[in-house]
Amino acid sequence: MRPGRRDFARALVRTLGAQGTWNYRSYTAGGLTYALLPLLHRIHAGDPVAFRAAVERHLRPFNAHPYLIPLAVGALARLEHEREEPGRIERFRTALSSSLGAVGDRLVWQAWRPFCLLLAILGFSLGLGPWAAVLLFLIPYNAGHVTLRVWGLRRGWSAGLRVGAVVSGSGLRRMARWLTAADLLLLGTVAVTLADRLADGALPAWTGAAAGAAAAAAGASWPGLVGASAAALVVVGALAAWIPR
Amino acid sequence: MPWHAEPDFWSWVLVSLLGGLTGVDAVSWPQVMVSRPIVSATIGGAVMGRPAAGLLAGALLELLALRHQPFGAARYPDTGPAGVVAGAAYAASGGGGAAALATAAVMGWALGWIGARTVHVQRAVSGHLLADVEVLAAEPRRLERRQRLAVGLDFARGALLGATFLVPAVLAVRLVPAAHGAGGAAAAAALAAAAGAGAGASVGALGRARGRWWLLAAGAALGGLTVWGLA
Repeated sequence: MRPGRRDFARALVRTLGAQGTWNYRSYTAGGLTYALLPLLHRIHAGDPVAFRAAVERHLRPFNAHPYLIPLAVGALARLEHEREEPGRIERFRTALSSSLGAVGDRLVWQAWRPFCLLLAILGFSLGLGPWAAVLLFLIPYNAGHVTLRVWGLRRGWSAGLRVGAVVSGSGLRRMARWLTAADLLLLGTVAVTLADRLADGALPAWTGAAAGAAAAAAGASWPGLVGASAAALVVVGALAAWIPR
Repeated sequence: MPWHAEPDFWSWVLVSLLGGLTGVDAVSWPQVMVSRPIVSATIGGAVMGRPAAGLLAGALLELLALRHQPFGAARYPDTGPAGVVAGAAYAASGGGGAAALATAAVMGWALGWIGARTVHVQRAVSGHLLADVEVLAAEPRRLERRQRLAVGLDFARGALLGATFLVPAVLAVRLVPAAHGAGGAAAAAALAAAAGAGAGASVGALGRARGRWWLLAAGAALGGLTVWGLA
């Protein structure tokens, strides 16, 4: 039986917890199956053997970016609905797993999230109020997040086996490239403006901004060493209070 | 209007619950990123009546955390409860200076990595919850219950972190003497350099964009112009 709108809505809501049972053995398989259950119940209604086999199949190891899990849910439900041969579904699952992980990491964790975060920090260091800055992060970020989930479920169901072509032709990779360029620009700006704000009143004008810019250049040149030192610098800042007057 | 100008029993309860909410958000549910330090620390600061102080701590933690990306099974700081505690502790310092901010950030950073250890344990527990595939396939309701149980455990994990570390963090921040003169200047310089170093070290974590050095330099120049314009 074909799943209805209500089944898709339930599956979509369940994908919010796709990583609820993330573990080192089966990764997101538990969350994927949990999200698939409303659709599998409908698809295999009246056939408990097929239903059980499908659940068992989807509990096998699977990993993908959590925001692209709906794409996998839609495509896998379509394959189950079309009664694809189990071996083919498993091969498709394996192929989907690596590609959705890489695209999602690149687009969301490396590009979209830093973009929204840096925009909010820039807003705050330029004088935006705390709640306005927080909303400047949360609203655009989650508009993109929810859009990606809804788009993923719809496109996954409509494309089925052709979902790989959908991802390649969607422009997600190109979008990630542009966002990364914007991130780097914002990163340089924030390094200076936030450093200036942190030094405000305690250091002569421009000293904080110059320290931020110099440290950013050093950090970009030796990320491992300087990145670890950033936390050490905060410890130094904490200990500085004990310097006698 | 501050909710609680001073930490008391109810602010401790609130911080614990917020630790749970932000802890569960990072991975388990619903991943809307209230677990990021700029959000969680602002909320922590708001509990003590000073959201702007919380956000300042959160922005600093954010630049330290940005280079740790959640790829695959990578370990990264659990910034939800850490941000709530750091934001609340700095806000409770009563508008302390750079050294108090640095102390709150140190407490938050340490808690973030302790939280990462607990996430590791949580993942091992989740592995056990899903170990018996055949039983779960025969009885899907059991899978649904275990999914909810795992999310609940993650919430409890975050709440426990918040509950345990709020008081030590507030005490540590309040112990810091108000730094003036050389001490205050050194603390501020260290924080400014830490923010810059954190930002610069994140460049590699954002991918290998062509011309990334020029973009970073152009951004820094833009930041300089902005500071000059606002002066």
